[in-house]
Amino acid sequence: MEEQLKIDFEKNLKNFSYSDQEKKFKEINFKEFLKQGFPNRKLENWKFSDLSQIIKSNIGELSFYNNYSKENQIEKIELINELEHNKLIIVDGKIVKIDFKFEDKDKIEVLVDQSEKTIRKNINSLINLNNAFSNKFCKIIIKKNYSLKKPLVIYHSTNKNTHFSNTNSRIDFKLEENTCLRVIDIFKDNSEKNFINIYYNFELDKSSILKNYKIDKTINNNVKYSYNNVNQEADSISETFILSSGSKFFKNEINCDLQGQHSSAFVNGIFDLDEENHHEIKSNINHLVENTKSYQLVKSVLEKKSKAVYQGKIFVSSEAQKTDGYQLSNAILLSENSEFNAKPELEIYADDVKCSHGSSSGSLDENSIFYLMSRGLNYKEAKKLLINGFLLDVIEKITDGEIKNLIKDLMGVKE
Amino acid sequence: MRDKQIEDLKDYKYGFSTDIESIKAPKGLNEDVIKFISNIKKEPKWLLDWRLKAFERLKVLKEPDWQKPKYPKIDYQDLYYYSAPKSFNDKPKSLDELDPKLLETYKKLGIPLQEQKRLNGIAVDAVFDSVSVATTFKETLTKQGIIFCSISEAVQEHPELVKKYLGTVIPLTDHFFATLNSAVFTDGSFVYIPPGVRCPMELSTYFRINASDTGQFERTLIIADKGSYVSYLEGCTAPMRDENQLHAANVELIALEDAEIKYSTVQNWYPGDKDGKGGIYNFVTKRGLCKGNNSKISWTQVETGSAITWKYPSCILKGDNSIGEFYSIAITNNHQKADTGTKMIHLGKNTKSKIISKGISAGYSDMTYRGLVDISPNATNSNNFTQCDSLLMGNKCGAHTVPYIKNKNSDSNIAHEATTSKISEEQLHYCQQRGLNAEEAVGLIVNGFCKEVLQQLPMEFAVEAQKLVGISLEGSVG
Amino acid sequence: MLKISNLSAKIDNKSILQDFKLEINPGEVHAIMGPNGSGKSTLSNILSGKKGYEVTGEVMFENNDLFSLETEERAHKGIFLAFQYPLEIPGVNTNVFLKTSLNAIKKARGEKELDAIQFLKLVKEKAKELKFDEEKLGRQLNVGFSGGEKKKNEILQMSILNPKLSILDETDSGLDIDALKTVADGVNALRKKNNSFLIITHYQRLLEYIKPDFVHVLMNGKIIKSGGPELALELEEKGYEKIN
Repeated sequence: MEEQLKIDFEKNLKNFSYSDQEKKFKEINFKEFLKQGFPNRKLENWKFSDLSQIIKSNIGELSFYNNYSKENQIEKIELINELEHNKLIIVDGKIVKIDFKFEDKDKIEVLVDQSEKTIRKNINSLINLNNAFSNKFCKIIIKKNYSLKKPLVIYHSTNKNTHFSNTNSRIDFKLEENTCLRVIDIFKDNSEKNFINIYYNFELDKSSILKNYKIDKTINNNVKYSYNNVNQEADSISETFILSSGSKFFKNEINCDLQGQHSSAFVNGIFDLDEENHHEIKSNINHLVENTKSYQLVKSVLEKKSKAVYQGKIFVSSEAQKTDGYQLSNAILLSENSEFNAKPELEIYADDVKCSHGSSSGSLDENSIFYLMSRGLNYKEAKKLLINGFLLDVIEKITDGEIKNLIKDLMGVKE
Repeated sequence: MRDKQIEDLKDYKYGFSTDIESIKAPKGLNEDVIKFISNIKKEPKWLLDWRLKAFERLKVLKEPDWQKPKYPKIDYQDLYYYSAPKSFNDKPKSLDELDPKLLETYKKLGIPLQEQKRLNGIAVDAVFDSVSVATTFKETLTKQGIIFCSISEAVQEHPELVKKYLGTVIPLTDHFFATLNSAVFTDGSFVYIPPGVRCPMELSTYFRINASDTGQFERTLIIADKGSYVSYLEGCTAPMRDENQLHAANVELIALEDAEIKYSTVQNWYPGDKDGKGGIYNFVTKRGLCKGNNSKISWTQVETGSAITWKYPSCILKGDNSIGEFYSIAITNNHQKADTGTKMIHLGKNTKSKIISKGISAGYSDMTYRGLVDISPNATNSNNFTQCDSLLMGNKCGAHTVPYIKNKNSDSNIAHEATTSKISEEQLHYCQQRGLNAEEAVGLIVNGFCKEVLQQLPMEFAVEAQKLVGISLEGSVG
Repeated sequence: MLKISNLSAKIDNKSILQDFKLEINPGEVHAIMGPNGSGKSTLSNILSGKKGYEVTGEVMFENNDLFSLETEERAHKGIFLAFQYPLEIPGVNTNVFLKTSLNAIKKARGEKELDAIQFLKLVKEKAKELKFDEEKLGRQLNVGFSGGEKKKNEILQMSILNPKLSILDETDSGLDIDALKTVADGVNALRKKNNSFLIITHYQRLLEYIKPDFVHVLMNGKIIKSGGPELALELEEKGYEKIN
């Protein structure tokens, strides 16, 4: 792998016009990745999902260089019809289109060809990989007091002939004071056996609201990792919803720094897994100042040989009095070969806090099924009804009505 | 029988300042030292080989570093692995030489003077009354075929049992500290309960007269044969002063078909002074194997002492319908640190486990609950319930909860609940309005918080443990 | 017995009581009535020694300066507060709590502490008088009790601790008529020539069953009117706005 990496990295540097500073930044990141490699189970965060192994067994050898200069292979991308939206299209990690047609032009600033000069903090080797190989990333700034009229849908797609490749994309968002942004991530995979690495940075200024809905529904054979870093100032709210279902492997990692008073973070997720899919949600909610709140709810329905992992951590610093932190995960194992792993973690240094977590996993309640069948439903219908009820709880947590309905339709969940 | 016991004891007592002191292994950890230990204890060859095998393994093992409390590097070549008990000259001559705080605690716990002296290794002429108690004890036990002796004695008297079970729960290759113990363990308890026998009394290290200096690498092995029952108490509510900073004990429990073992610990070793100086590192490996069907192992622990406590009493539920339980109270104050919890490994069908953990941190201390519940694919219809609560007093301390939950069986259920809270001002005001002072009020509320665990302790222990809970938190309310 | 002079209290710089005056003699029953936010609960909190208030003025209780005493010392001297919202203390058995607190008070007074048997006898007797379900005494303190049971439990504690001055903070709120009567019976049984009561309430209802000697109207942190039992009826009729 190392040989290939070096060749691809050199190619990447040569074929794109990076400034010396950018080159230096990429080189530092590249060296760091070379040193660490893909995360493996020896790392606490990757204990339940050994990515190095997963890539080896699902993809084999990866190539890291994507020749973006080549004419784009896909001509069309199927958009969602259910709601009007702004769009941002990424193909093989490269942003090919940004369109805020519903918004006031002067309220949104899009800085393309942004690049980071220094490494902010060392998060993990995948962020290094992303920094080393991603094409220039863009930064989207929402100007003070502006709420976007329509959501922004980010389409993540791959070219038909992209296989055994690693693609990296990165977008930074800045929500200035008193703004509101809804982001929907949708995956449109046109090819398989790729490792897709996504990194978002969100800066939430005072009183801003971010809602991010990640929908991984279509069945595909790709391995994905997504990292959301969210920094929150006073009175800001972040809401993240993850529907984790279609990919072969998907790990969603959410890091929220609640650094302004009365800021709050909500992370809700559904694992709806079949076959041998293996998905993970890892959250780090860092309560750093007084009066912050977080709420997390993750539910899993696991078929066949699927495996779901939820590692949720609530950290409360000694200054963060009056923290309210809550976390719950429930899982239903529908097959004797499915597996649910959880690590709900509390790390607390302040005493005037209210923090709790709960986790349960088990099979579908046979008594409830029996009850429904005695009322005339067949086994399949009864099961479906119970699972819908089980999942509805999480979907109801979605605060955006339009998007809630979209997700309900996608999942075939009825009230 | 009785005469002989007293005689032995005399030898022991006077023996130390002359003979035993001259036999001290040189500093350091190497094959010669291990051979030396084995030789002194007149061990059979298989045991020496076993120790050496552990030592070979130790060479490639690394000290674990994933735990929360960090400690200064230990130089393993700078330790004595076998030294007979210290001579009287090195020990405090009277109680006056001790930390006055310690004496105050004894007074509050109501520990008799003679007992206080014994705990601190002060030379006492009339060795305490329990000699005769211990003798009558032994007679009753022997009549029922129960073996309760030191593990060195068991190696001589019952080698077939030791050989059969030693290292079957904690393998030689397990982890650094467990393997270190296997290589150099000095002494500890051995218990064997024959089939169908219900041990008529609580077995306790307290009554085992030669237990006072088992050293830092203690090894305990308890076997409950088919259909038997035993309740074993380890430790003592009074704080023990100890010269050894590192304690790496191994405890193995084996429950055969229909057998039950209840193992209770009150650990109150020296926690260091209020600035965090000194104190014991308690790195213990405790593991129970529910080997037979319908067997049960239950751990109860009250951990208030030591500078660093690092232990996870665990159950391997191998037999069908076997049950594992873990009840724990851990209290840290001042600069103490604890990383404790349990592992419940479900292998058999219809296995059940229950974890109740109560952690209280005060002062500048740090407390971590770390636990694993693992239900394997074959453990059909198994379930676990975990309740894990933390109470914080002040904002200089920390409480952490790190449960690992693995469910690989669809017919099995795992439920985990955890809360972190503090004693509310309102609760304190309410109690004080009813005439209790702040410390009494805290004691009462904390005992209420711990009740589910205290209930699991044998009666006479429970009362003392309750007092201990209050005392451990002294000075932590503003 | 209790003499409050020029009492002012602030919390977070917000003034709650201003220049409050009240004197209670042995054997007297005083009622303080006032609308929400008039400072009623602040008064009971300050008398019982709750922290967090900025207080000026003087409160004397049987020649003791109350402000120099800790909460528990006030309890030892014979002040009892029946809380508006009795606290739940998980894991602590009600009987154990009662015995601990009774003996703490007895000890402070230099009296002989009760052993378990004496205590149980006393508690049984009192529970019967107050129609308090004995089974509840074996349960965790106030945990899972209904609102009425919690209030009755307060009165039971009062009758066992036998205080000199009992402060009842909105004890009537949330009680149905039967429970209200039981509570009143409990209070009346304790009315002796040396025991005094300060009843804090919003409504006149409780005062039908416990006849006060004096009624005071508290508005905006001050007593604006005092009188006999008839004042309570007048209040009920006219409402707080018009009483002035």
